[in-house]
This record gives sequence, structure tokens and C-alpha cells, in this order.
Amino acid sequence: MADKKKILIAEDDTFLQGLVSSKLGKSGFEVMVANNGKDAIKLSDENTPDIILLDLVMPGTDGFAALEKIRKSSATKKTPIIVFSNLAEAKDIERARELGANEFMIKSNFTLDELVDKINEFVKAGQGLK
Amino acid sequence: MSDQDRIAALEKENSRLQKLNDLKSNWISISAHQLRTSLSAIKWILKMFLDGDFGQLNGDQKSFMQKAYDSNERMVEMVTEMLTLNHTDSVALTYSYQPRDLLALVDETMFDFTSESYKKGIQLLFARPSEKIPLIPIDLEKIRVVLQNLIENAIKYSEAGDKVIVSITMDDKNVTVSVKDTGIGIPEAERAKIFEKFFRAENAREKDSIGSGLGLFTSKTIIENHTGKLWFENMESGTNFCFSLPLQQKSS
Repeated sequence: MADKKKILIAEDDTFLQGLVSSKLGKSGFEVMVANNGKDAIKLSDENTPDIILLDLVMPGTDGFAALEKIRKSSATKKTPIIVFSNLAEAKDIERARELGANEFMIKSNFTLDELVDKINEFVKAGQGLK
Repeated sequence: MSDQDRIAALEKENSRLQKLNDLKSNWISISAHQLRTSLSAIKWILKMFLDGDFGQLNGDQKSFMQKAYDSNERMVEMVTEMLTLNHTDSVALTYSYQPRDLLALVDETMFDFTSESYKKGIQLLFARPSEKIPLIPIDLEKIRVVLQNLIENAIKYSEAGDKVIVSITMDDKNVTVSVKDTGIGIPEAERAKIFEKFFRAENAREKDSIGSGLGLFTSKTIIENHTGKLWFENMESGTNFCFSLPLQQKSS
């Protein structure tokens, strides 16, 4: 078996966080969770995850600010970041892309299986880089 | 009141209305975000039930869970529609007109509805034009939305055995697309209101309790931004929705 890929989930809604992390855990990922942007930055610096799932609306440091910081840190400069948010107007999507998000997914428009598929696409594309 | 006073008063009122409009837009954005958060949770949980994550469901359980899932999906769509509508004013500025093949667009859109109409036992037919339809300047994605709305409505408000016929005709100035159904029709008393925002006819609500009342409003806005026209004709049974688009866009 290949190494478990590390995924960081930044999501402040604990209920959604639980559903997502349990799904990803069952799908074979090593899951770390952050409840806000500040913790997301810290965890991503300390653990260099293979992929980051980032909510936008979070208390304190929000997802946009976290995205900017994570993208600038040398450890996670190239880490795939999927913004997974329900804040999804054109201007939000554009801003997230400008700040370096690789993908933007609207939570309510995807099932968790589809989310796992998307994450696996990134994992596949990233293999050999490390 | 002097002219100057009047201008000052109008400017003040204008800025007040703009603020109010911004407030409304923000409120809709925030509500949409909150609604989507709950809808996501419902969607994912129902999906887990349907996938048997909590044990196998029996036939009835599965069929009701599927109904709940489908209703939730429509609510997700409604929220998206609501957001689109929220930006209809600003969207008006971002129309991009390119010469496009309307016939191909109709073909594609109808194809998307093949399985839905088949499932409901409705014949979805295309009366192909005998003449060649030239490329016309349209915003393709927006006209796609209009076609989707009209065909979706035609299917939604028809029964097994009904027909939905789409046709394209042309004269020297306009191309006209017609979506004719043999469905429930629009009650006479409610015809005047059919394009109003959030309006749904009594019989439409009875037939299908879910619907935003935004489809026709949005469609009309889009067609009028194309300097075209959207209207309907009442048939003996059913309705014929038509829109016409100019072969040439007036330079703007």
C-alpha cells in the first residue's frame, strides 16, 4: 500500500467538518482538521499536508487570508489547495483563484464522493513530484 | 424649490437607493451562504443513507430518501438561481455577444432533456427549420439558460402522453424559437402576471410545489437585454412560449 496522503481540512462548521473528515478518513487519507484560518496556517506549516481543503467563511483569520499565507509559505507553495465553500459568487471564485487556489468547489453542489474523486485527481497529478 | 435643490434632493435619494440595493444584495449573498451550508449537510447525509452507509434501506425507505434528496437538489438549484438573479442588474453589463449557432444550441439543450422527458413519457420533438439559420450575435450561455427554462417548464407542466415541440423560424429581421407544449396551460386570470418576479400560477403550484418563480422573469430579462422579445400564446391545450432574437445586434 502506498503511504497515506495527508489532507488538511479547514472548516469551522463542526458538523460539516465531522462529515467530511470521516468520509476522507474512510477513503484512506490521514486527516488533520482546523477550525479557523489561523490554525489552518499553523497546521499546514507544521505538517506540510499533501493537499488542503479550505473553507472561506471562518472566524478570525478567514479562508482568503489563510490561502494567501499558505500559498506564500515555502513549505506549501505548491500544495494543491481546493477551496470548498458555500461562499461562491463570481467575485469570490476569482479572488480565491488570484490568491492561488487550484480548485473551487461549492459544497452544496457536490456529494462527498465527488469531493473524494476530485481530491484523488490532485493526488494522482501530484504523484512523482515529491 | 429651485432646480439646484431638486437636483441635490434627487442625488441624495439616488445614493440612498443605491445603498439600499447594496444592502439587499449583501443580504441575499449572506442568506445564500447560510442556506447552502444547511443544504450541504442535508445532501451529504441523505446520500449516506442512499448509499447504505447506515445499513441497507428497504424499497420504501430508499424511494422516500431519494425523493428527499431530489427535493434538496432543487433547493440547491433555487439558491443558485436566486444568486444569479441577485446579479441580474450587474450581469446586464457583462453580456458578451458572439456570432453563434442557435440551431446547435437548441439541439444540445434538447439533448440534455431527453432522459427527463422520456422518464415522464412526454414526447420531445424538434421541428427542424427547412432553411439555414445563420450565426446570430448572442450571449450563448445566457440564451442556453432561457432555452433550459422554457423546455424545463414545458416538461414540468405536462403529463405522460403530452408533446413538447420546439421549432425555429426566421424572417428577414429575426429568428424565433418556439417551445410549444400540450400541458396544463396558464389560467386566464393569471396570464398578465406570468413574467413577474417570484410569481407562480395557481395550477403550476398545485402541479409542482417546488419552483422559484424566477425562470420566466430571468428569461425575459435575458431576451430583452438581447433586444429581443419573449412572449406566450395560449393554445387550446397547453402553451406556446416564443422568443425572437434580432439577426443583427444594434450596435451598443
